[in-house]
Amino acid sequence: MDGHDRLLAAFLAGDLDQAAAREWDDHLLECDQCWQAVREDRAGRQAAGLLYRPAPAGLADRVGFAVELAAGASSPRRSPGVRLRRSWLAAAGALAVGLALTTTLLHLPGGRATMSAPVAAVAQYAETMLPLAQQAGLGTGARAAPLQVGHPLTMTAGGHHIVLRTWRLAGTEVAEATSGQPFPMPPGARGTSGGGMAWVARVGKLSLYCINGRTSELVAAAVPAAELPALAARLPVV
Amino acid sequence: MGDDHRAFLDATLPYIDVVYQVARHAAISGQDPEDLVQETYLRAFAAFDSHRGENTRAWLAAICLNAARSEGRRRRRRPPEVLAQELLDALPMTHADAARDVADVVIAGLDARAITRCLGQLPEPQRLCIVLMDVAGYTARETAEALGCPRGTVLARVHRGRRKLAQLLADAGVSHGRS
Repeated sequence: MDGHDRLLAAFLAGDLDQAAAREWDDHLLECDQCWQAVREDRAGRQAAGLLYRPAPAGLADRVGFAVELAAGASSPRRSPGVRLRRSWLAAAGALAVGLALTTTLLHLPGGRATMSAPVAAVAQYAETMLPLAQQAGLGTGARAAPLQVGHPLTMTAGGHHIVLRTWRLAGTEVAEATSGQPFPMPPGARGTSGGGMAWVARVGKLSLYCINGRTSELVAAAVPAAELPALAARLPVV
Repeated sequence: MGDDHRAFLDATLPYIDVVYQVARHAAISGQDPEDLVQETYLRAFAAFDSHRGENTRAWLAAICLNAARSEGRRRRRRPPEVLAQELLDALPMTHADAARDVADVVIAGLDARAITRCLGQLPEPQRLCIVLMDVAGYTARETAEALGCPRGTVLARVHRGRRKLAQLLADAGVSHGRS
């Protein structure tokens, strides 16, 4: 781009002072080459402007939800005033959230620093979502069929593609994560019957129960660890 | 950092529309622009403590472009994927276009596909300047900040890019947008 073109670009950007701009106006009346350049500039700008698309409805909710989760993952204790908005809970259900929580979740507080990212992500999801599902006030009897709260949520953690569901079952809320890859056993977990494919663990108030296989399933709920396998067995096969 | 997320969202969510514009054109093939927007915000949140006081729009654009490049590098190690995003982009819109004549919408959709294809033929520096300024509505100064180059360079690139884009569209027989 020569000096002439640079001046033209400055003219089009409105950078020239009044006198210089007037000179260019006069010049454009006489110079076909520059006038063609102006027309092409305008045409290119107009054409590019046609590519604008408004952000999809719900994207802000999705992003807000992801940031909330990341904030929860990096905060030692959620303050009482900080809660996920209900609208985000609703939006989260409809969204396929490709969470990239690996970095933050690898440094979770509360003794989870050595937990693998997929397990930590599921625990974080359960800690965040289960109280909200409880607030939703959906009641089921002890013998009633599991009731799904919201819609499945998809996220990625530590390279694992994980589908998360929230259930209301036997008077409590249960988070269920399924993945095509096994959930690594966290420190402090113990194997259960099933030839080393299944394990249970405690994370804060949550119990985790995992059955690794072709499709691995990790279930989390605020119940005693001994009760979780029976709850998990009542969940529908997905 | 955890309790700062409200302040972060208040400061950044108003720009989600412009970030989405950048993401749509910065996303590599096979990458969902909405995923890229989310990744942008998660990265921005992680760096928010060191950001305050700067131009937030430009800062988010720079993060979005870096996130797209990172994903591009990561995917180069994997087999190529084919995504219909370009086709989806060319579909008639459903919001603002609801009241427009169907034929206009379809023509605009066809034009958008052609424009996207022609835009993709521009050198990346010119393409990025056009996306930021003409699609997302960034000023030349913000674009310069996001791309880390002088404002004069941005003006030169966007001017050259627009002219080239217009010429490519003319060669392709697309008249929409030509004066």
